Amino acid sequence: MSTVLATLAGICALGAAGLLPVLVTVGLRWYAVPLAPLAGAVAASLAATASLTFGGPLLDWFIGIAVLAAGAVCGLLVVRPDLGLRAEAPRRRGRGRGRAVDRVAGVVGFLVVVLACIWSLRGLRTPTVGFDARSLWVMRPGWFLHSHAQLLVDLRARNLVLTQSAYPPLLSASVAVAWRITGIHTARLGVTMVAVLDACALAAAALAVVQAGRTVAARVSRAWLPLAAGIAVAALLVVVAAGITEPFLTNGYADPLWSLAAVGAVAFGLQLRSDPSTRAAAVILVLVAGMTKNEGFVTAVALVVLVAARSIGIAGLRGARRRLVTPLVLAGCELAALAWWPVLMKAIHARGATSTFSASQDLANRTDAVAHGFSPYLHVLVLAVPLAVLGGIALRGVRRRVELGNDLWAWLALATGLVAVASALVTGNGAIGPWLLSTAHRITEYPAVEGWWIVGLWAVVAAAGLAGPTAPDGVAAADPTGAPVAVDDPTSDGPAVDDPAVDGLVGAPR
Amino acid sequence: MTVVSALVAGIALVALGGQAVRGARTVDVQLAPRTVHDAAVDDAFYACIDTQAHSLVRPDQPVTLGGTNLADVVTMIKGFGSWLTVADPASTAQVTLTLHDGPGGPGTCLGTTVVATSRGPGGRTVVRVGTGAQVPGQGPPPAPPL
Repeated sequence: MSTVLATLAGICALGAAGLLPVLVTVGLRWYAVPLAPLAGAVAASLAATASLTFGGPLLDWFIGIAVLAAGAVCGLLVVRPDLGLRAEAPRRRGRGRGRAVDRVAGVVGFLVVVLACIWSLRGLRTPTVGFDARSLWVMRPGWFLHSHAQLLVDLRARNLVLTQSAYPPLLSASVAVAWRITGIHTARLGVTMVAVLDACALAAAALAVVQAGRTVAARVSRAWLPLAAGIAVAALLVVVAAGITEPFLTNGYADPLWSLAAVGAVAFGLQLRSDPSTRAAAVILVLVAGMTKNEGFVTAVALVVLVAARSIGIAGLRGARRRLVTPLVLAGCELAALAWWPVLMKAIHARGATSTFSASQDLANRTDAVAHGFSPYLHVLVLAVPLAVLGGIALRGVRRRVELGNDLWAWLALATGLVAVASALVTGNGAIGPWLLSTAHRITEYPAVEGWWIVGLWAVVAAAGLAGPTAPDGVAAADPTGAPVAVDDPTSDGPAVDDPAVDGLVGAPR
Repeated sequence: MTVVSALVAGIALVALGGQAVRGARTVDVQLAPRTVHDAAVDDAFYACIDTQAHSLVRPDQPVTLGGTNLADVVTMIKGFGSWLTVADPASTAQVTLTLHDGPGGPGTCLGTTVVATSRGPGGRTVVRVGTGAQVPGQGPPPAPPL
């Protein structure tokens, strides 16, 4: 079997495991397509953790968890058939040509993003396997196929020296599934699997921008403007993100996956209109980010808190019980899933998980070095900050009316990820110069890409501003011919968030 | 508002377009002949020491990775760490694997060979050299990006 076919088989296996849970929770959306393999990767990660916790082969756990997840969502549909509405056709935006245009935009947006992603993976033609990929990410899958006793030895034996082997398991577990079902145990297959998962996360994040254009289009008179802007911006963002994350996008490193998944989680959870479908997409992407690498774990925990805070909103803080319970329970489940692996690493005294932390005393110099080391990779902020300020002042009303999230949420998410990574460097004990030299490019991928997503969303908002006055609620004109059409069909896109306090960020609705 | 919208959209799209061109060029570096050559040499080196290790130990045989050079241990983990059965404690290992770095020549991987040391009958030390693959030239392989 060739590497291409083996990769296809591996991704199909992950996709099959994630398909039903994604279809039920996210619904029949174009962005559900890349989310299915990512949800399967989460299942593989949980399978690896369960295999280490309880024993038993990885593949048995993977199949078991996939079946359990499928059974759970089917059971949920039986108990709560109203939730199944999300699995129906996407939101009908109006009638006649308006609906058709929206559908065409969805198809075109999906195809454009997929083609851009495929083009961005052309670096795979060079069979590069990165240093960390060969020493950890696509080496460790073999360990997950060992017996339980040997896996414990692999993770604990001090003479194996690599302390990074306690890193979260999602990538290695996904590759292990592909190795197991294809019988091909090569680093090359590992690299191609990782690259396709990267592309899935990138496509999901880009499709969030297409979705933003479609959401906006339903609320303006000249719908084609935000639709076209959403598609064009999404395509450009894919190419931009590929440039930022190369060569690690196609050499088996974990940094692009957690970074792109976190960017997607911010897009769905904090930037798009909040509804059950986007929240479900955000959950999957948060889990991918947090189960991929330690930096992703810290960022994912912050994102869980931010998404829950947005869902709770001002109304929740004022005591609306129903607004408190669901987000808190969901956040608790996410945090439990994310924490399982690191807690397990501590419990088994894994190499690299038990070292005593002692903060550096040279904080001022290290902070200065980190600022200088990061700055060449974060030039996007020079553009994004003034653009966001300008947009926040002049286009805030447009952004609110078209139901996109307050821009401050995305900035909070960017800042927490950046501060988390910078703090580790500032307070760590490693020689700061070589550390920065070897990692600054990779660990700034998340804030750099997030900065561009913020710029992209403002472009869509600006297109909405150009598209004419916002139509009255419920009678927006999505039809490019100008014929008024209905938009707020509550049965078609999951329950819309009607409470203006749902996105309550310091008194700024949505 | 229209002017500001046009300004924001224009700036954002121009910046995105410019950065996209830059990004496409970055990706194209991956296809440069030098990058392709380095990747091929790197792959050949690790495939070579993997084959040599397979010629010395079975996957189920407890081994330890020896030597005083940390870089050699990391190289062995990169080359065949995924399938080895690592012994813990190391004293229970049947075989100790090390790398021997020397001049490039027949039977070596860019000058490196995998060496297995074990206890033979009567407590005698048995040293075997890995076989089955070679890569001409002198190592180490080109350093990939960190």
